[in-house]
Amino acid sequence: MSAQVLTVTSGKGGVGKTTVTANLATALAMLGKRVTAIDADIGLRNLDVVMGLENRIVYDLVDIVEGRCRLRQAMIKDKRQPELYLIPAAQTRDKTAVSPSDMVLLCDQLRQEMDYIVIDSPAGIERGFRNAVAPADKVLIVTNPEVSAVRDADRIIGLIEAEEKGPGQLIVNRVKPQMVSRGDMLSVDDVLDILAVELLGVIPEDERILVASNQGLPLVMHGLNGSSAGEAFRHVARRLDGESVPFMDLSVKPTFMSRLRAFMNGQN
Amino acid sequence: MAGDEKRVTPAVDIKGIRDGLLIRVSDRANVPLAEALGDELARKRAFLAGSRVAVDVGGRALGGEQLAALGQLFAAHDMTLWAVLAADGDTRDAVRRAGLATRLSGSATDLDGNALAAPPNGGEPPAKEPPPANALLLRETVRSGRAIWHEGHVVIVGDVNPGAEVMAAGSVIVWGRLRGLVHAGALGDTSAVICALELNPTQLRIADHIAIAPDNGPGRSPEQAAIRDGQIVAEPWVTRPTS
Repeated sequence: MSAQVLTVTSGKGGVGKTTVTANLATALAMLGKRVTAIDADIGLRNLDVVMGLENRIVYDLVDIVEGRCRLRQAMIKDKRQPELYLIPAAQTRDKTAVSPSDMVLLCDQLRQEMDYIVIDSPAGIERGFRNAVAPADKVLIVTNPEVSAVRDADRIIGLIEAEEKGPGQLIVNRVKPQMVSRGDMLSVDDVLDILAVELLGVIPEDERILVASNQGLPLVMHGLNGSSAGEAFRHVARRLDGESVPFMDLSVKPTFMSRLRAFMNGQN
Repeated sequence: MAGDEKRVTPAVDIKGIRDGLLIRVSDRANVPLAEALGDELARKRAFLAGSRVAVDVGGRALGGEQLAALGQLFAAHDMTLWAVLAADGDTRDAVRRAGLATRLSGSATDLDGNALAAPPNGGEPPAKEPPPANALLLRETVRSGRAIWHEGHVVIVGDVNPGAEVMAAGSVIVWGRLRGLVHAGALGDTSAVICALELNPTQLRIADHIAIAPDNGPGRSPEQAAIRDGQIVAEPWVTRPTS
């Protein structure tokens, strides 16, 4: 069986590409899949930190491409998941150290041994983005319910359509149900209305994401209960694997006071 | 041109413009076009791949076959040729027949910011009469960052998203939601109209008029924007009796 290459991208920075990549790769590995995560953000590597593997780096992506090591030597085995590997980016080089065809070649080498290859794309639409998208079988677009992030996602969808990588699938990250219900934040429907692509997942805002990133332990690995963002990532992984998982209900449960207010208003 | 002669111009000069890239090829007749371009494109391939390209061929005279070859040359380098700027009238005709644009959109200045003595399509004044009856049909959503320019009417079956630009010498019909920027009658045709099933643009322009959509949101029904009494107004899009 040949692996599927998933590229996680967004256009805008700071929407959670690296978090999504780390959690999805981990969640897929937890489903028993063989997974390699590749950090394509050469010069600004982060994925290793979020996955807690920074101190194990010996070789990186550029070393493979420039022939200083074998592919296997640069694949860092995850601390907890036996079938999860990371190919880190080089920190001391820049995006031009790798070409799109290098990435295609690299992924083709990996395909036979893996089920999924998850690539973390850098922000922007330049060389680094093209490197990350070149080998993709499926592009996952991460956006936030925020006008500028949606605008950039729209641009990205246009670019990947032009590269004939399909329209991609959408992950809406950092949704705050309270703000949506107050009308202060775009709803997922508002985002879909503009982007008109298939929705793969909705990830609620969760403070524990930050804690987990700082600890180098993706949230999906934390206790299986009580983590709605972690749960949402596990759902995304299962959907990627072909399972039909209903979307989480993120609507705000009405409190007693809000029901009372609604009742009073209804009476008037 | 006189300014160009004074300094040593490179054979091929590549610039980023709003619509993609503009490539100017030196007029000096001793440099064959394809050869000069081919070397440059091959050298900068990684940088240029995927871009939309306008080529300024200066005073060279090119026929249909040479234009087709030019298009193929760019295609071979993963680039899309959309416009050829030429000083020679026959060449411009050939460019139009090949379905390419002969000028860059909108601006009255050249890329260095100098006012153009003549529009890039030669000494002709901006067309006041309706553009030639050819239309561009796009069956897709025009997303942020796309710029469409056509020297006729444009019909889009799909949405025009915020951050996208559609410019046409004629009218623009959007069978979908219009939320980006549309400039109809971009060469000065004030009778051009802009229609959309949902008219909620970032900005509308017809000829040299500019309008911003009111804040009260899109109408539920299809609307048409046109110039009435010197300003752009939106009105329900209804079938008009043929006149």
